[in-house]
Amino acid sequence: MNGAVRVEGLGKRYGRKWALQDATFDIPAGRVCGLVGANGAGKTTLLRMLAGLGRPTTGSALVDGETPADEVDFLRRVGYLAQEVPLYQRWDAEDHLRMGAALNPHWDDAVARTRLIALDIPLDQRVGTMSGGQRAQVALALALGKRPRILLLDEPVAALDPLARKDFLSTLSEAVADGDLTVLLSTHLVSDLERVCDHLVVLEAAHTVLAEEVDRVLEDHRLLTADRRDIRELERDHTVLRVEQTPRQTSVWVRLSGPLYDPAWRSEELGLEEIVLAYLERSRRRSGRPELQEVIA
Amino acid sequence: MSWLLWRQHRRQGGFALGVLAAFGVLLWITGVDMAHTYRAALADCTASRTCGELQLFQGWGPLFNLVNFTALVPVLVGVFWGATVVGRELEAGTNRLVWTQSVTRSQWLRSKIALLLISSTAVGAAVAALVTWWSRTSNSLHQNRFDGLPFDIQGVAPIGYTLFAAALGLACGVLWRRTLPAIATTLGVFFVVRLVVESWVRPHYRTPVTSLGALGSGHVGTPGSWVLSTAIQVHGRTLAGGRITLPEACAGAATRQASADCLTKAGYAEVTKYQPAGRYWTFQLTELAIFLVLAAVLAVVAVVALKRQDA
Repeated sequence: MNGAVRVEGLGKRYGRKWALQDATFDIPAGRVCGLVGANGAGKTTLLRMLAGLGRPTTGSALVDGETPADEVDFLRRVGYLAQEVPLYQRWDAEDHLRMGAALNPHWDDAVARTRLIALDIPLDQRVGTMSGGQRAQVALALALGKRPRILLLDEPVAALDPLARKDFLSTLSEAVADGDLTVLLSTHLVSDLERVCDHLVVLEAAHTVLAEEVDRVLEDHRLLTADRRDIRELERDHTVLRVEQTPRQTSVWVRLSGPLYDPAWRSEELGLEEIVLAYLERSRRRSGRPELQEVIA
Repeated sequence: MSWLLWRQHRRQGGFALGVLAAFGVLLWITGVDMAHTYRAALADCTASRTCGELQLFQGWGPLFNLVNFTALVPVLVGVFWGATVVGRELEAGTNRLVWTQSVTRSQWLRSKIALLLISSTAVGAAVAALVTWWSRTSNSLHQNRFDGLPFDIQGVAPIGYTLFAAALGLACGVLWRRTLPAIATTLGVFFVVRLVVESWVRPHYRTPVTSLGALGSGHVGTPGSWVLSTAIQVHGRTLAGGRITLPEACAGAATRQASADCLTKAGYAEVTKYQPAGRYWTFQLTELAIFLVLAAVLAVVAVVALKRQDA
C-alpha cells in the first residue's frame, strides 16, 4: 500500500504530559483526510511533526516516503498551513507570492496568482488589513504554489464565516482535482468533512481511535435501538461509543466489527457528524467528567 | 533567502543609513572646524606662552554630549536588531511560515545571523571610526582618551560592544520567543556585563604602574595615561580617607606651594596607580577580544537553542 502519509506509534511529550500518544494510521495518496478530535487531542502536535516542525518523542512517520526532517528534499514535498495563519502582516499578497518564488524551487506562480485573482483578492493590499477569509486564501495560495505532494492544514477554516469557508474548501477541492495531491486537514466543523473529505482520522485523548475511509466509516457505524436490554454481549463483539437508556428503550451508537447477530436490534445509518460527535463525547466522558446518562446506566 | 532578507529588513537598513549619514556629516563639519580652531589657538598661545590655560569649545556641550551618547549605539543595535531579528518571527509565528517553504531552518538562521552580524559590525565600526576621528582634537586637548567614557566610544572596543549586544539580543529573542522580554533582558544583561568589565576587569589587563611623587605634583605618569587611584602616604603608610590634618610645623605656610613643600619634607608623598598611555591599544584590543568571545558564545547559544526548540 503506497501510503502518502504513514504514521506508526507516533507520540510527543511536552514535559510530563503526552500531547500525542501512539498515533497509528495510513492515508493513501490522492485522498482528502479529515483529522478530528476534541481540543487538546493532539491534532496540532501531529500536523507539526508531519510538517517537520517538531520532533517526535516516540514512533515514526513517513510523509510522501520521507521522514519529516529539516531538509530541503523533504520540505519541498510538504505544504503546511498553521492554525493561526501566520503571514507577514505588513506585506501585501504580491510580496508573499514573491517570497514563495524566492524560497521554493518548484514554485508555480500561475497556480497561486490565478487563484487569488479569481477570488478578487487585491494583490497590493497589506495582509494585516485583509479579512480572515482573504488571509486564509493568501496562505493557501502560498502553500499550493509550492506544488506540494502533501498538504497539511491545521484548522484552516475555523475562524471563517460560512461563505469564506465554502470558498476555501472549493479552492481546496479544485487543487486536489487538478493534481496528485494528498490533503490532511484538521477541523472542528464536521459538516465540512462531509463536503470535502473521503478519509477520516479521529484522535481521542492523544490516541488515534479511528482511521478509515469515509465510506467505510459510514458503513460501520450504526445507531442500534431495541426494547430495553443488556448491552454486554454487544460490547464483546463491537465498539460501543455511546449508550442511552430510557426505562423502555436502549439506544446504542456502535462501531460494528462484523455482522450483527442479534435480530432484536433495529439498525439505522448514522451521519458523519453524529459519528464524530459520538467519539468526541466519549473522549470527554473518559477524561473524567461522567455524564448523567452514564451514572444512571 | 537574500530576497527575503532584503524585503524584511530594507526599512531598518535604510533608516540606519540615514541616521548614520546625518551623524557623519555633522561630525565631519564640526570636526574640521574644531581642528582649525585648535591649531589657531595653539599657534597663538605658543607665541604668548599661555598654553597652560587653553579654554576651548566652551559652548559645545551639546555636541560633546551627543558624541558621548554613541556609547548607547551598541545597545540600540542589540534591542532593535538583535532582539527582533529572530524573536519577532517566533512571536508572530512567521517562523512556521518560512520553515515550511523549501528552506531549512539552518539556512534561514545562518543568513539571518550573517546579516545581523555584518550590519552590526558595519554600524559599530562606522560610528567608532567617526567618533575616533572627530575626537582627535579633544584627545590632544584633554589627553583623556584612555579614561572611561572616551575609551568606550573610540577605537575598536565599540565594535566589540556592538557585536556583543547584537548576539545578546539574538539569544534573548530565541530563548524568550517574545520581543518585549527579550528587549528588557538584553538591556539589563548588556549594562551589567559592561559595568562589570569596565569596573573590575579592565583595570587588570596589565599590572598597573605605581609611582611616588611629591604632594601636589598632580599627574605623575605621562600625559594620556589612565589613572586608577591616587592616595597619600606618610613614610610609606597610606592615609585612610585622604584628608590631611596639617602638622603644626606646616600650619603657618603662606602659600599652597609652601605648605606642599613643607609636607613633603615631613614625609608625605602622593602615590598614583595608573596604566601608561602607551598601553592604550593593548587595552582596546583586549576589550575587543573579550566582547567578541562573549558574542560568539551567545550566537552559538542562539543557534543550538533554536535547533532544539520545536516550532
